[in-house]
Amino acid sequence: MDATIELREIRKAYGDFVAVSGLSLVIPPGRVFGFLGPNGAGKTTTIRMIMDIIAPDSGEVRFFGRPRHRQDLDTVGYLPEERGLYRKMTVADQLIFLGELHGLSRRDAAARAKTWVERLELGSWLKRKVEELSKGMQQKIQLAGTVLHEPKVIILDEPFSGLDPINQEMFKDVLQTFKKEGRTILFSTHVMEQAEKLCDDICLISRGRLVLSGVLADIKREHGGLGYQLVARGDLDRLPTVPGVAHAEITGDRAKLLLHPGTAGSAVLRELVQFLEVDDFRSQEPGLEEIFIKVVRHAA
Amino acid sequence: MQLDKMWVVLRREYVERLKTKSFWISTLTVPLLMAAMTILPSLLLLKAKGDHRLVVVDETGVLAQPLIERLTRSAKKAVETPDVTSPTKAMQSSEAPGRITFDVTAEAVAADPEAQRQGLEKKVLSGEIDSWLWLDRKGLEAGEFEYHAESVSNFITQERLSDALSAEVRRLRLTEAGLDPDKVSKLTESVDLKTLRTTAEGAKEEAGFAAFFFVYFLFFLLYMMVLLYGQQVMNGVLEEKSTRSMEVLVSTVRPFELMLGKLFGVCLVGMTQLGIWLGAVALLTAPGILPVLAVLPGGLPQLSVAVIAHFFVCFVLGFMLYGSLYAAIGACFNNLQEAQQFASVAAMVVVVPVLLFFPISNDPNSTLAVGASLVPIFTPLLMLARIAVKMPPFWQIALGYALTTATTLAIVWLAGRIYRIGILMYGKKPTMKEIIRWVRYS
Repeated sequence: MDATIELREIRKAYGDFVAVSGLSLVIPPGRVFGFLGPNGAGKTTTIRMIMDIIAPDSGEVRFFGRPRHRQDLDTVGYLPEERGLYRKMTVADQLIFLGELHGLSRRDAAARAKTWVERLELGSWLKRKVEELSKGMQQKIQLAGTVLHEPKVIILDEPFSGLDPINQEMFKDVLQTFKKEGRTILFSTHVMEQAEKLCDDICLISRGRLVLSGVLADIKREHGGLGYQLVARGDLDRLPTVPGVAHAEITGDRAKLLLHPGTAGSAVLRELVQFLEVDDFRSQEPGLEEIFIKVVRHAA
Repeated sequence: MQLDKMWVVLRREYVERLKTKSFWISTLTVPLLMAAMTILPSLLLLKAKGDHRLVVVDETGVLAQPLIERLTRSAKKAVETPDVTSPTKAMQSSEAPGRITFDVTAEAVAADPEAQRQGLEKKVLSGEIDSWLWLDRKGLEAGEFEYHAESVSNFITQERLSDALSAEVRRLRLTEAGLDPDKVSKLTESVDLKTLRTTAEGAKEEAGFAAFFFVYFLFFLLYMMVLLYGQQVMNGVLEEKSTRSMEVLVSTVRPFELMLGKLFGVCLVGMTQLGIWLGAVALLTAPGILPVLAVLPGGLPQLSVAVIAHFFVCFVLGFMLYGSLYAAIGACFNNLQEAQQFASVAAMVVVVPVLLFFPISNDPNSTLAVGASLVPIFTPLLMLARIAVKMPPFWQIALGYALTTATTLAIVWLAGRIYRIGILMYGKKPTMKEIIRWVRYS
């Protein structure tokens, strides 16, 4: 099956600053793809190049196994990081406008706008002006506008930033539904926990370069090694020097340990009891965040 | 080009702008103001219509009779017999307000003039009469008579009265000096200019001042419309930037299509407004609708179809030219304050035609007029001024329009390139050098 989106060696520089440098990616169909990286890594620039908002200096963006055509973008629902609505328009008019821009007929757009607004529990606000809505409501409307035309591909740039926990849950539910419906979802985030919960595949970029990509489960297995949680008294600062410990994150009397692959937990524990009063030592799957920090540090 | 998307943008611009209160306020106030300026004065004149009951007490014994004759006659005949003795005021005072009719009663001086005066005052207060006039010898020599009325601000009535009195006093003085008043009036008759406008369809009679005022009005209307609607484009772009709705837009519409859709949409709003105004003018000036307009001195200038058509063409050309510049300016900045500085520079360019308006409307075929009206950025305004004054040769209009269209396309293209980059730029104000670099970027 052809990749939904494929990037081949795309590069974008602003003057001397290279925002994206020779990035190649394959986003398979029907998957939730997490596009991860710290702030300023080049995530938004890459997404903008996918959306043809800016042109790459070199390289190619492909959709559905062929060079991207402008019409391909009608099958995409895009929620930019910089989001906003026309303040003076009514919710209904705003959604109809966005639907029409994606090629829906006026009547279809109106019908779907109504359905979506009701689904997001904003039915009574349909005829109200956007400026009368609270920030959270506006974000829901924005999401409705992104998916009104039932896109095959949904691209969300930092979708959870600025959302309250209730709306975050709602966004996640909507994404899960889309996933079940077989749509391809690409979303960028710098919050690893969200990616961990939602993604099938991830890629990590840093300073415009690809650091890591693949199926999330595989990455965890390959790069994660073994994670342990430790509660102990004594000189915890010596932890990184203990044989078999790849990484240690120490907070007070607690520490998260990442072991080198092939290291047995019991062997490390034997080392630890030499200089520590160990109260608790248990295995814990490493988080993406730890992997990310490790890999990025390693790359740098 | 995806025309369907441009159409969606265009329609949104048009519909949303037509929904705003400010559009309807400006659309409705302008005709109201126009109406107020033209109709109200005439309505005031009409209000003076009615019987004015006047008592004349004549001490001189010679003035009352001819005065009464003149006052009752002039209402009907003032136009045919220009009032010799009061040449300058003949038109204004005796024709338009001629609908006032005087009901004059002559009274002889009573034995006790003081009692008579008081009696007359009482009659005025009780409303039995409107006013009384005391004609005495002393007044005749001094050129001043006493006039008593409850309302002394009824200037039209007073002017009629003072005109008629002046005329009669003049006749009296001439006769007393041994001259024939009729002969003198013939010899001293003033001369008027009958202004004719030369057009292809033959000479047309038109009041010179009204025609000039009309051209001036059209010119400034166009100037205002181009600037105001250009600014609206800029504000629209800034709104899309500041509300951050821009990125969603450009992910579905190409920036150039977005800009064109916006320009056409706002342009249509302007044309709609012009259309409404034109309709209002046509309605107000239609024969029989407002008879009051008939009393306007000189009547209304003729709005020819050709001038209207050229007005619309010039509006579209001028608007697209300046509107696309304003779109680019809006794209470069983050807020109105920043953009305003740049916009005022653009507005300054439009001031040049305003400075050239007087010399050009005075001599529409001078080298200056022809040359300046062919400079593309001035053509929309100056060509219209020339067309309104005197239709220029066809080749000049065609050349002017062709050059402006070409320039407009070039500016739209240029603005499109700035717009495309600018709309995604936030934060620092770009320098001129950076903007030039945006144009060069592919």
